[in-house]
Amino acid sequence: MEHPILFISIILEKLGLPVPHGPVGHSLLEQLCAPYMTYTWLVMAFLFFVSKLTLGNLEMVPGKGQNFWELAIGGMDDFFSDNMGREMTDKFFPMIATFALYIACANLIGLIPGFMSPTSSINTTLALTLIVWFSHHLIGFKEHGLHYYKHFMGPVWWLVPLLLPIELISNLARLLSLSIRLFGNIMAKETLLAILFMLAGSFFAPLPIMILGVLVSIVQAMVFVLLTVVYFSQASEHAH
Amino acid sequence: MSDVKKEFVQLLANYGHIGFTFVAAILIGLGGGIYLDQKVFDGRTQPWFTFIGLAFGIAAGYKSLLEILWRNKDKEKDQEKQEKPKEED
Repeated sequence: MEHPILFISIILEKLGLPVPHGPVGHSLLEQLCAPYMTYTWLVMAFLFFVSKLTLGNLEMVPGKGQNFWELAIGGMDDFFSDNMGREMTDKFFPMIATFALYIACANLIGLIPGFMSPTSSINTTLALTLIVWFSHHLIGFKEHGLHYYKHFMGPVWWLVPLLLPIELISNLARLLSLSIRLFGNIMAKETLLAILFMLAGSFFAPLPIMILGVLVSIVQAMVFVLLTVVYFSQASEHAH
Repeated sequence: MSDVKKEFVQLLANYGHIGFTFVAAILIGLGGGIYLDQKVFDGRTQPWFTFIGLAFGIAAGYKSLLEILWRNKDKEKDQEKQEKPKEED
């Protein structure tokens, strides 16, 4: 899929840096200049500087910027503690909230012409998913020690040969479904927008898809975060 | 966001991923079966591990589907319990 205009890639090309024309480059520098990497950094910088600028000094009576963040962070805090309890929320709030903000921003940025969603590349979503997958097993081992294997054994011993493969398969399926769902939805949105823009851009054909795109972006970020929360709380719970 | 919209988004987040999880489980089961047949046993056990893997994959799909349903059922029950005392007041 050839993106129409990506302004960071154009700037980098003007600077003489190698920008890959395929999905992935060959040398390290080319890989670093791939569009999904540069736009990942753009989203990171955006989140960092916007939060720094709006939250420079906290006040008792919040201004506009602080009000927004209080609403967003407070909403997420309620959402997490509803789903996985107060203690776990306090422990993992920074990680999961960062995921939520990053994915939501990365999804929405693709709706602006000249930008692309970093999450429309499988590399980004697979990286996020691997972090979640490994950390939910780490939480399980930390909470239960070696008894964590009982999560995969089912309720009674004579069902073990039947339930062990089922549990293992459904656990591995998390890895696949979590990464491909986010990637697929966002890539479909981007591709559809590009095609509609080429076909009938002057008749505002992409507009309805853009409205849907806002909904899809927010829902997909929410699904990812909700599933992360559910996996974490399941790993820390006692086995059946 | 109005309440209806919020509920809509929450319902989408809760149930919108059922289809994908189901397919992923079946694909992983089938892929594991084919791998066992072709790579580990060099095609000597040809169709059998593929079928067994497919069966386990489908079972895992249903298991994850039921898990999603049970989880949301429990949550609804909890909410009803929390809401009931308020009505009595």
